[in-house]
Amino acid sequence: MSGYIDALLVVVLLSDLYLVYTSRLGACVKATAVQGVALALLPVLRFLETPAASELVHVLVMASGALLFKAILVPWLLFRAMRDVATRRDVEPFVSTHLSVLFAGALVGVSFWLASLLALPGVGRSSLFGPTAFSTMLIGFLLLVSRRKALTQVVGYLVVENGVYVFGQSVAAEMPFLVELGILLDLLVAVFVMGIVIHQINREFDHIDVDQLNLLKG
Amino acid sequence: MTVDAGVLLYFVLLVPFLGSGLCLLLPGIRSLFATLVLGVLGTAGASAVLGAAVFWGRPLHAAGAWFFLDALSAYHLAVLQLVYLSSSVFATRYFAREAPLSRAGARRFGALWLGSLGAMTLVLVSNHLGLMWVGIESTTLVTTFLISLHRSKQSLEATWKYLVICSVGIAIAFMGILLVGASATRALPTPSDLMLWTRLRESAALLDPAPLKIAFLFLLVGYGTKVGLAPMHTWLPDAHSQAPAPVSAIFSGIMLNTALYCLMRYIPVVEAATGHQGFCLRLLSLFGLASMVVAAAFILFQHDVKRLLAYHSVEHLGIITLALGLGGLGTFAAMFHTLNHSVCKSLGFFCAGRLGQMYGTHDMRHMPGTLRHSPLWGTGLLLSLLALIGVVPFAIFMSELQIVKAAADSHRIAALVVFLLAASVVFIGAFGHATSIAWGNPPAAARPQPARLTDALLVLVPLALLLLLGLWMPPPLRDVFEQAARVIGPVP
Repeated sequence: MSGYIDALLVVVLLSDLYLVYTSRLGACVKATAVQGVALALLPVLRFLETPAASELVHVLVMASGALLFKAILVPWLLFRAMRDVATRRDVEPFVSTHLSVLFAGALVGVSFWLASLLALPGVGRSSLFGPTAFSTMLIGFLLLVSRRKALTQVVGYLVVENGVYVFGQSVAAEMPFLVELGILLDLLVAVFVMGIVIHQINREFDHIDVDQLNLLKG
Repeated sequence: MTVDAGVLLYFVLLVPFLGSGLCLLLPGIRSLFATLVLGVLGTAGASAVLGAAVFWGRPLHAAGAWFFLDALSAYHLAVLQLVYLSSSVFATRYFAREAPLSRAGARRFGALWLGSLGAMTLVLVSNHLGLMWVGIESTTLVTTFLISLHRSKQSLEATWKYLVICSVGIAIAFMGILLVGASATRALPTPSDLMLWTRLRESAALLDPAPLKIAFLFLLVGYGTKVGLAPMHTWLPDAHSQAPAPVSAIFSGIMLNTALYCLMRYIPVVEAATGHQGFCLRLLSLFGLASMVVAAAFILFQHDVKRLLAYHSVEHLGIITLALGLGGLGTFAAMFHTLNHSVCKSLGFFCAGRLGQMYGTHDMRHMPGTLRHSPLWGTGLLLSLLALIGVVPFAIFMSELQIVKAAADSHRIAALVVFLLAASVVFIGAFGHATSIAWGNPPAAARPQPARLTDALLVLVPLALLLLLGLWMPPPLRDVFEQAARVIGPVP
């Protein structure tokens, strides 16, 4: 089973890299949806590997929660926001896509090194948990700082959250239920709020380029 | 007695949320603000009883072990209520005249105001570290909309920065909490015990130190973003300057401290697990000093009075963090400084907000003669700025003196030198700003407004408190500070 878990984690990693590579917002949102599906399957496979009756409820909640929010609701909200503000491409990111891909590759390397430093108790299930979690988080940061559109920044934030989720999965057996729920709640509400704010920003400024948000200085 | 006081914990937690819902239903603005003040008055009274029960009794528990109140949280709860009470009264005055709210706007304000009170109370009464984090997260979500209460380009920009930067910070803090859990799985095999602070504190010596160190780094950066520690402070001056003055007052007066409180909880755990080698303390000193230096540079060349106060927040939260990093007497001084800063900073924002309404600007180059124009608010702003930079008879001077003493006693000479240099630069910069707006001739366009008794109380009570604490510390209060500081570390 751990082969399947590794495969899923690789899917997560590849979707991270695709997010960095693409400049089309629609493709970005689709990639986050794919990542969401992979993340929803993660607890299920983990459960099939070591079935324990006491964990069943937690696993169901985590999987259905991730599927509902990360794979369906949030991408849908993002698509709707995209339609409302009528933007398709992140035309001129602060850092060119080619350079970003190079950065992202370096970040993945750094993550493998970081994870090798940390001998965490729960990570023994698959050696890819730690590196994937760190890479996803770091690539999320990269998206946050390198992109111009408010919407791509939301995607960047989502990717950071997904990295935290992957890490959470590696220790989920020991973590209480409330913590798992906390991730989803946070994710959902944050994006909701961000969507509303984007809408307001769009109305007031007639654009959603964050580099135009430069009235406040010093 | 314990049973009754435990019930009060539910009271202080539920009343804000119920009041928040009620605010959405009330028809008139007047009844709404009355509800607001009464609600805060109720929780403040209950908190006073809770504080007395903790300080002259023992820590309280409720809902199994999920909620609890010890000296540290009771003390922060008291400061929270103090700041909220004065800011609520100020809000009724602030919104009454110059910035009239529509009915819908007032309802939204009331609901968000009490909602953020509830969220901060949740942070302070949680024993469960995950729940504490949920509290910080909801504080961010709720207060986001308070910044953009008056919609303008600037306030939306500030809202966006606040939301993105703080959300990322909170995600990082969550990673830290997961790592704390991972380091405790061997010592605390029962999942229900895993994230309870009291259990972690008891078995701190058994935790796995390596992941715990990384966890503290994540927590420091994550929660530090919300505290406004440099270099994660960039959202703070924008949010503080764009929010309406009562909101700035609670941001600076207590919201930053609530995030710092979360960090305080981890200090004894990580220190005990890593064998008291000062791992956390060194990191805290470093971030504290960095914040002071960055703030000093920006204070020197500031023109906007609310941004000036915001950078003072970066400075003073940096000072509190440094004091925590010094340990021993420093921890005690951190508690003392928390109260002084909260009282003084909320007063500063009250005065700056009202003067800003009268002058129609927050640009200090265009607001001379505040003393002549509005003796009450002008005096308040001048004295609060002087108190903030550590002028002698006020309490902030005393707490900073203790920090200097703590640094000298523990032979942290480099920290001491940086602290004194940054404090001097702040002194020179802010002294110039304070005097330039106090004297001179007020512009003709500025409209004077008569001050009422409430206004006088809002200015004079905090000033009297700062003066009193600067001259004499009542023994019961010293006892409160000591008890709170002992939760974090040993106090000589």
